[in-house]
Amino acid sequence: MRLPWWKRHQSRELEEELQSHLAMAAREREERGAAPKVAQSEARREFGNLLLVEETTRDMWGWAWLERFVQDLRFGLRMLAKSPAFTIVAVLTLGLGIGANAAIFSVVYGVLLRPLAYRDAGRTALVFMNFSPQNNPRGNLSLADYFDWKAQNRSFDAIGLYANGVQEITGDGAPEQVISAHVTANFFSLLGGVPRLGRTFVQGEDQGSSARLAVIGEALWRRHFGADPNILGKTVMLSGDLTTIVGVMPATFQFPRQQTELWINYRLAPPKRRGPFFFTGIAHLKSGVTFEQAQSDMNSIARNIEHVNPSTYARLTMPVLPLRDAMVGNVRPALWMMFGAVAFVLLIAMVNVANLTLARSAVRRREMAVRVGLGATRLRLVRQLLTESVVIGILGAFAGLAFAWIAVRALQRWNPTNLLPRVGDIRLDWRVVVFTFAVAILTSALFGLIPALRASASDPNLALKEGGRTGGLSTSGLRTHSALAVFEIALSLVLLAGAGLLVRSLIELQRVQTGVGAEPRQVLSMYVAATNAKYRDEAKGVAFYQNILDSVRALPGVEAAGMADVRPPNWWEEDDSFNIDGQPWNEGAFPSTPVGHVMPGYFETMQIPLLRGRYFNDADRHDAHGVVIISWSLARRYFPNHNPLGHVMHQSQPALHTPPMEIVGVVGDVKYQGLDSKTSPMAYYTPVAQSFVEAQFLYVRSTRAAAGLAPEIERAIHAIDRDAVVNHEQTLEVTISNSASEPRFRTTLLGSFALAALLLAAIGVYGVIAYSVAQRTQEFGIRMALGAQPSDVLRLVIGKGAALGAAGVVIGLVASLLLTRTLERFLFRVKTTDPLTLVTVAAVLGLVAVLAGYLPARRAVRVDPTIALRYE
Amino acid sequence: MGKRYQNRIELLQGTLDMLILQTLQWGPQHGYGISQAIRVGSGEVLQVETGSLYPALHRLEREAWIQSEWKLSDNNQRVKKYRLTPAGKRQLADERSRWEMLTQAIAGVLKTAGS
Repeated sequence: MRLPWWKRHQSRELEEELQSHLAMAAREREERGAAPKVAQSEARREFGNLLLVEETTRDMWGWAWLERFVQDLRFGLRMLAKSPAFTIVAVLTLGLGIGANAAIFSVVYGVLLRPLAYRDAGRTALVFMNFSPQNNPRGNLSLADYFDWKAQNRSFDAIGLYANGVQEITGDGAPEQVISAHVTANFFSLLGGVPRLGRTFVQGEDQGSSARLAVIGEALWRRHFGADPNILGKTVMLSGDLTTIVGVMPATFQFPRQQTELWINYRLAPPKRRGPFFFTGIAHLKSGVTFEQAQSDMNSIARNIEHVNPSTYARLTMPVLPLRDAMVGNVRPALWMMFGAVAFVLLIAMVNVANLTLARSAVRRREMAVRVGLGATRLRLVRQLLTESVVIGILGAFAGLAFAWIAVRALQRWNPTNLLPRVGDIRLDWRVVVFTFAVAILTSALFGLIPALRASASDPNLALKEGGRTGGLSTSGLRTHSALAVFEIALSLVLLAGAGLLVRSLIELQRVQTGVGAEPRQVLSMYVAATNAKYRDEAKGVAFYQNILDSVRALPGVEAAGMADVRPPNWWEEDDSFNIDGQPWNEGAFPSTPVGHVMPGYFETMQIPLLRGRYFNDADRHDAHGVVIISWSLARRYFPNHNPLGHVMHQSQPALHTPPMEIVGVVGDVKYQGLDSKTSPMAYYTPVAQSFVEAQFLYVRSTRAAAGLAPEIERAIHAIDRDAVVNHEQTLEVTISNSASEPRFRTTLLGSFALAALLLAAIGVYGVIAYSVAQRTQEFGIRMALGAQPSDVLRLVIGKGAALGAAGVVIGLVASLLLTRTLERFLFRVKTTDPLTLVTVAAVLGLVAVLAGYLPARRAVRVDPTIALRYE
Repeated sequence: MGKRYQNRIELLQGTLDMLILQTLQWGPQHGYGISQAIRVGSGEVLQVETGSLYPALHRLEREAWIQSEWKLSDNNQRVKKYRLTPAGKRQLADERSRWEMLTQAIAGVLKTAGS
């Protein structure tokens, strides 16, 4: 036996020690008068088995286990190298399973588990406001609420506010729109944000008298300002206001949004009224205070606020959300679902490799028997076989890491609509590597254990008595084999059923009518902002919009153009309650409903049908009397029996005494709150001239595919105002499709896992049948020699595959019914027990099982009986 | 085959360790010398098998109760001699007192059982 280098010296010494023992024993005998030859052989005999003494002594050195492991490892590698086909299939199968797990683990870790890059983020909370009739658990605060909260606060040692927004940078080069946030002065210190250049806001810089200041993001600094080192103190025009830049934040600071690159200080003065509700609270817990304590504290503050302002609030709560939950809460269930799915894939891969190993161990049965005969203990054999499995596992881990690397890259690139928060935090770092190897070693030990126990349990007498025949599996061995295949089919059925349900609901989602009559491909929308200071005068702003519409309508190829601040299927800026003259108001009966502020031409461009009355026209001016158009479901609910035209409606609650608006039209329902929204598609529309908003979507319907029109339209708008910000050009078709990108993302991921599972299960069934056919070649030969027809043999073999398939399908269906319930929240208009999906999936798997049996069956039929009988 | 020797070691362990440490109290000695000393000292009753002796020596050395070095014997042969360490002396004292307790206890039991 070759010893490792570090033991050769020690071994030589031991040998010398024992030799000297022998020599001394021999000499003593000689001294007592024995002949040298006799003395030597007697000393030898007394000494016993020299090699064995050496070995037992060496065991005392403490490295015995390692030595044996190295020995097993070498042997294992040699055995694997001898059967490359087995090794490659096993390693790739495991690699697929392990890789999928490593990839999803790195996503789960990066998004859900990796600590946020902000100071003490685990004790930082966002604070929202939830009250009737809005009932939005992530609703915003008004400034007055913030001041009340600040006065009564006991749980937090720092509280601040922020609000997301957009700003136009003009004057300095090309106009650009950037994602921005208004923040209180303590915002950066609360999050521990350290600027790369300059400073952040200091205490007191959020008063009504403060100067307008901005901190910009690194990307914006490089892109728009050419990484100007002298940027600090420069003034820029932000949405028409001169603002001084005081600092640059590093690219790693991505809050409140991943894309935020501009932070502007609030200049807060105590407000005169409750509203508008623009602000999100951010706060840091005092030491020793838990989120639960903070929440109960906020509950009592909310009760106080509600008590003082009963006309504004009903059922007011102020939810305290840990920062991480606020950032990733909505993807958490989907990610855990994916994690569960890849665990299934890994389980199937494991079963496959266990099956392969089992088949191989049957062939190696005689080897095992010989080893037992030569004195190997069962433990020793199990250890040898397990070592081989672990070697496969480790090779699989390497394959898996490579696979995961590719998968993570792909996942990051394919995140077009920023579905995943914190995508930059997804990395294949040491944690993923540790996870991968832990999974690999654990799974390989598991899949190695069944075959190892089986193989080592075989009776050496029986195995050796089989003589010249290649050892086959006993009946019970084949049973284990089949049970594993059934298990595999059942597992992949569960995955396929889950994927099937998601696919079905995606199809349902895409069938939803948006309510837009125009062909989505022919409608182009883009965002146009009139936030520049020169449009502060509303009349000028309306004129600006009107000019744009006039010049766009004049472009060749344009059929119609209009504007609105709503965009189907999932964008609305404002929602509000309403009240109708002559109908008793209560907040439950008049829920908050999307309000569209539209320019004439919007309905015509989108071809939203007019059901009664009229559309808006140029006569609905600021000084004309107020008008409103309502949607079909709103009309049906509040005017079930009579004509709504001519009735008078007000925005918000009656207590606010908003101006009267006469209902002049009823239009078809349009989805603004998402395709999967379960709320009624109620909405009401007011003319921009009577309720100005600073930004609009411009809609242009063309006679052809509209995408190509964008540059021309942009030129036309810039001819009117070269500082106007125009962006987000996309056809309605793209908008609608993007709105389903989240379910599509889930469906594609789960679908690909399910396909991988199907593939692995097919390989598994094929392997079992092919193996049993190989085992029974002789039997088939005899049957055919005795007159069995090829079709008989074919039926026999396929029947076996079908039986495995049927058993797996039945078990899988039961498991699916239990497990797909967890998918409920992801489904749209499809039940978890959807019979169409389950039947289809069962049929697919049954077919796969039959096909997997068919290929080996054909081989069995082609057997020449004379050869089969001699088959060994 | 290996099993047989391992069983012996287990059987003799403890006592064999004590005997070796006791023998080395009189000065450094090599393996052969130790086995002879035990044989003679026990009036030829105890035969220490080499398959037990050498593993025990190497184990005791690993426990740092004895130390080994290569020396030249009287007739100029290189031999490995073992020497008791201070830790070994303490261990020997421990084992002796435990052994005495054990023998006394067993003797006591046998006496009451016999009478």
